[in-house]
Amino acid sequence: MTDGLIEIQNLSQRFGKVQAVRGLTLSVNRGEVFGFLGHNGAGKTTTVHMLTTLAPPSGGTARIAGHDITKDPLSVRRVIGYVPENVRLYDTLTTRENLMFFARLSGISAPERRVNETLEFLDSSHLIDRRVGEFSKGMRQRVGLAQAILHRPEVLFLDEPTSGLDPMGIKMLRDLIKRLNNDFGMTIFMNTHLISEIAKTCTSIGVLSQGTLVYHDTMESAVRKYGDDTSLEELYLSITPVTGQGEAA
Amino acid sequence: MHSFPRSAPLIIAGQSVLYIFRERTVAMLSALFVVLVLISAYLGWSATSTVNAIYADAAVYLKGIGQTVPANPVLDISPLSLLRNMSIYVSLIGALAAIVIGYQLIASDRKSGVVPILGTRPMTKLAYARGKIAALATLLAALMAVAAVISVSTFLLLPQFTLSAHGWLKLFGFFGLSYAYMAMFGLVALATAAQSRSESVGLLLPVTLWLTVTFILPSLTSNIHPTAAINPISALAPAPDTPFFHWTGYLVGPFSIAESFKYLSAGLLDFLPPGAVARSAISPLADLAIAFAAAAGLATLALCRMDMTRGDYNV
Repeated sequence: MTDGLIEIQNLSQRFGKVQAVRGLTLSVNRGEVFGFLGHNGAGKTTTVHMLTTLAPPSGGTARIAGHDITKDPLSVRRVIGYVPENVRLYDTLTTRENLMFFARLSGISAPERRVNETLEFLDSSHLIDRRVGEFSKGMRQRVGLAQAILHRPEVLFLDEPTSGLDPMGIKMLRDLIKRLNNDFGMTIFMNTHLISEIAKTCTSIGVLSQGTLVYHDTMESAVRKYGDDTSLEELYLSITPVTGQGEAA
Repeated sequence: MHSFPRSAPLIIAGQSVLYIFRERTVAMLSALFVVLVLISAYLGWSATSTVNAIYADAAVYLKGIGQTVPANPVLDISPLSLLRNMSIYVSLIGALAAIVIGYQLIASDRKSGVVPILGTRPMTKLAYARGKIAALATLLAALMAVAAVISVSTFLLLPQFTLSAHGWLKLFGFFGLSYAYMAMFGLVALATAAQSRSESVGLLLPVTLWLTVTFILPSLTSNIHPTAAINPISALAPAPDTPFFHWTGYLVGPFSIAESFKYLSAGLLDFLPPGAVARSAISPLADLAIAFAAAAGLATLALCRMDMTRGDYNV
C-alpha cells in the first residue's frame, strides 16, 4: 500500500490550441524526493502551477496531503512551499523584512523566532539584515528557499532550483534538499531538465514529454535498469522526442 | 500546524507601504506635491498681503485728501479661496502621484518575482486585492494629511484669516474630495499594473486616462484650452453658447471628471464664479461618486483576476 501525498488523476492543461499537459496521472509518496524531468517546454512548470493552485487545471484533478487543488486550494496552500525559477524577492527590503512578511502571511504565530531558526538551518543567519538586492544568485536562492520552508510545509515544490547557479551553489542546494527531506521529512517535488541533478538528489523520477508522462519509476529501479548518469541520459533522449519544445512553460 | 492568517490584507498593506516608502520616484512625486501645497498656501497669502498693503497705502492717501475710505476688498473674499490653486495641484500632481503609487504597489510585486509566491500563500485573491487597496488608501491619506496640515497651519498662523465652523467643514470637505479624486486614479493604476503584460503599458494607460480627463475632455465639453485647464479660475469659464458645446457638455460631461472635481472644489473653496453651472447630464457629485465606484470595482476585479503564475512583465 502506498502513502500517496501527491495524487494526480488525469490532470490536463490547455492554452488555446496548445495542450500543455495531457491526462497526467501520477502518485508521489510521503518522504520522496521526486524529480520531474523534461525538455524546456515539456509542461513541467505548468504542472507545478496547477499543483500549487496558481492556475486551475483544464481537466482532471489532484490532491495534496488529501486536499483537492480545485475544491480546497487554501488548505493545499497551507501544506505546500514553492520556490519559483529565478526567485528574487523584494530587492529593497532586507532578508528579515522579506521573510517576516512571508511568515506572517503563512499564519506563523512567532514569526521572528521562525525566521531566525530557518536562516540558521540554511546556514544563512549572516544575511538577515542585508538587502536582498545585494545578493548573488546563490544567496537569493537560499533566501527563496527560506521563504518556502518557513511554515514547514509537507510538500516543497522547486522549479528548476539549480538554474543559473555555479557548481558550489548547486552542491549547497543539493545538500539542503537532502537535509530538508531528512530533518523535516519534507516531500520534495523538483522540476529540472538536468539528469545529473535527478540522479544525485532524487528517490523517484518522472519524465514528461510534450505534456505526457512517458516514464515513472523509483531512482533505485531506474539506475538498476539503466545504470549511471550517462545511461540515464540515453534513456531520457530515447523516450523524449526533441520536437515540441517551447510549447508550454 | 498553522492557521490561515485572518489579517492577510493588513499584512499585504503593511509590507506594501514599507516598500513604497523606499521607492525614490514615489518619494520625489510626493515631495513635489507637498511643495506645491506649500506654494499654494504662500501664493494665497502673498496675493492677499499685496492687496492689503496697496489698500493700506490707498487708505492713508484717501484719508489725507479727506475722501471716504472704501472697505478692504480682501474682506469680501472668502479666506478659503486663498487655497484655490490646490484644486489644480490635486488634479495635476496629486493625481499623477496617485497613479505612480498605485502602479508601484503592483509592479513592485511583479518585478520582484514574488507574485507566484504570494499565490501559494493561504489567502484569497480578494484578500490580496483588499491589502493593495488598503495600502493605496493609507499612502494617499498620508499625502493628504501633510497637505491638510500645511493648509490648516496657514489659517492658524495668519491671524487676518479666520475660518468659521462652516469654513473648516468646507476645507475638510475639499480634502476629502481631493482624496477620493486622487484615489480614483490610483485604483485605475492598480488595475492596469495587474493586468498589463508590459511594464510601460501598465503605467501609460492610467497616465493617458489622466491626460484625457484633465486636458482633452474639458476642451471638448467646455472649450477649455489645455493651458486654461491649469488655471483654477479660467478652468471654470463658461462654455460658448453653441449647440455643439451644449450637447458635448451634456453627453461627454459625465466622463469629464476633472471638470466635476474642479467645479466641486470651487464650491468648497468659495471661488466658484457667480452664475457658473454644471452642464453635464448628471451632477458633478454623482459623477465623481460613480467614477470612484467604477474605479474601485475595476481595481478589485483586475486584482482578483490577476494571473498569479505571472512574474515579471514581458518588457
